[in-house]
Amino acid sequence: MAPWLEARFSRSLGTFRLDVDLVMDREIGVLFGPSGAGKSQTLRALAGLTRIAKGTIALNGRKLTALPSGQRRIGFVFQDLALFPHLSALENVAYGLKGKRRGERARHWLKRMHLEELEDRKPLQLSGGQRQRVALARALAPEPDILLLDEPFSALDSPLRRSLRRELKQLHRETGTPILYVTHQIEDVCALGDRIFFMSEGTVTGQLPVDRLWENHAVEAAWRSIGWGTLLTGEVRDFQGGIELFWEKGRLLLPPSTEERGPVRAFIAPDQIKILYPDIPVDPQLAANILTGTVVETVHVGSTTRVDLAACGMTWQTEHPREAYASLDLKEGETVRFAVRPRSISLLAPTGPDRGGRCR
Amino acid sequence: MTSALVISLKVLAVNIPLLLILGTTLGWLLAKRTFPGRELLHLIVLLPVVLPPSVLGLYLLMVMGRVPLLHDLGLLFSFPAAALAPLLPALPIMVQAARSGFASVDSQLEDAARTLGDGEWAVFRRISFPLARRFLLAGLALSSARALGDFGVTLMIAGNIPGRTQTLPLYIYSRVESLDFALAHLAALLLTSVGLASLLLVRRMEGTGHGPLA
Repeated sequence: MAPWLEARFSRSLGTFRLDVDLVMDREIGVLFGPSGAGKSQTLRALAGLTRIAKGTIALNGRKLTALPSGQRRIGFVFQDLALFPHLSALENVAYGLKGKRRGERARHWLKRMHLEELEDRKPLQLSGGQRQRVALARALAPEPDILLLDEPFSALDSPLRRSLRRELKQLHRETGTPILYVTHQIEDVCALGDRIFFMSEGTVTGQLPVDRLWENHAVEAAWRSIGWGTLLTGEVRDFQGGIELFWEKGRLLLPPSTEERGPVRAFIAPDQIKILYPDIPVDPQLAANILTGTVVETVHVGSTTRVDLAACGMTWQTEHPREAYASLDLKEGETVRFAVRPRSISLLAPTGPDRGGRCR
Repeated sequence: MTSALVISLKVLAVNIPLLLILGTTLGWLLAKRTFPGRELLHLIVLLPVVLPPSVLGLYLLMVMGRVPLLHDLGLLFSFPAAALAPLLPALPIMVQAARSGFASVDSQLEDAARTLGDGEWAVFRRISFPLARRFLLAGLALSSARALGDFGVTLMIAGNIPGRTQTLPLYIYSRVESLDFALAHLAALLLTSVGLASLLLVRRMEGTGHGPLA
């Protein structure tokens, strides 16, 4: 049987080239990679909002390449949600519906998202979480063949993110609508996805079922392909009243709420590793995990600077705004201190043979 | 004065729909589409703002009097000329307002409408137009007031013929020439009130409701 979504296309935007090869079934796919990797562009091309130079997109047996956006049967939730400010919640949800029963069907969706009391409210009168639900309902109401989400939860705090992720997963179970979700946050990958697509510099560099995130060689290869963030393998154990992540050549303190014990894989996003000034007091939150390393490489990428540091037997990738450390001379071979906030360490732990990876 | 008032109202009746249609279309094109010659089009549309009305009138006189087909229509110094003359100086005001209005509509909203099944016309009708509406109304109020008050261009191509092409501003000029200040004042008061009313409307449009103007 042909896969549900099969997309092979390329397009050029100035010097940036998008080269996508994506095959997916009726599952939840997560498109994962650093900002600027072309994830949002990929979604826009799938939805027909930007033209592709060459290639094909097929969804549920239909060729989409020549179809305008509106005929592709693709639901899209935008990063800023893009709710229509002049329409009520009900009118927003009914927007993509046709026929006499559109009001009824829109109400059904509002009810399903627990918003039935709020149908007359305009988007500005809704809370962040309610707006997310309206956006989801609006995208799902026309019963699309796939739902694309462009980091829709990135602006929300953690508890709300968690509850919306749960809701999204439940919607996927109930409607069977496959989902392609774009994120640069590893916890979204583990909490939501069935399949992870790694993306870097405009290219889908690899893919992996999320439950194989635990297998060493597969993950290492995929991770190397996007060349982003710091991935380390170690063991979580109790130590002197605290909990630490321990590996052969080092240790990091974890938050007291950590439940995992035993072997884990941990991911630290590059913007979460802070380089420290030598003579300025350190934020107490950072003081727990201060390491000393040497600068391996400094690369300027647009307005950000990426510094690779060698410490504790591995390479740590950090990222900061270009001007942030102008007064520090971050030349190769220099020794610097850096800190890792305990809460910013994402653990990917195996929780049993069937359930696959999980994140905190 | 009644006939001048009637002619002015008829001029407005011709100009309001033209301003709305032409101004909205040009404003939308300039804000939402990229095409070769866009900058040039923008410059040409804005040109009447900086040109003296007599220069504009002279150009129009040349075009309408010398271009064969237009010449044969015999528009000069008739009501059609009086009706079309104010369009040129008033249109830039409407286009600028419409352009700002459409530029203020987040293109992501239009994309969202596209993914929900809308074609380009539906996107315009359901999203861009309603969201830019306040700008369009404000632009229409200001540009109509400008059209109503046109003097120079009308004089150049339509003349000052009582009962045919004499609008209120020209009427005031004629009254002053014959030292009949009472009627000149009355007509001036009328035009001032219309101007004030349109400014008030614009302030209201800027003051309340949704949209980035608020």
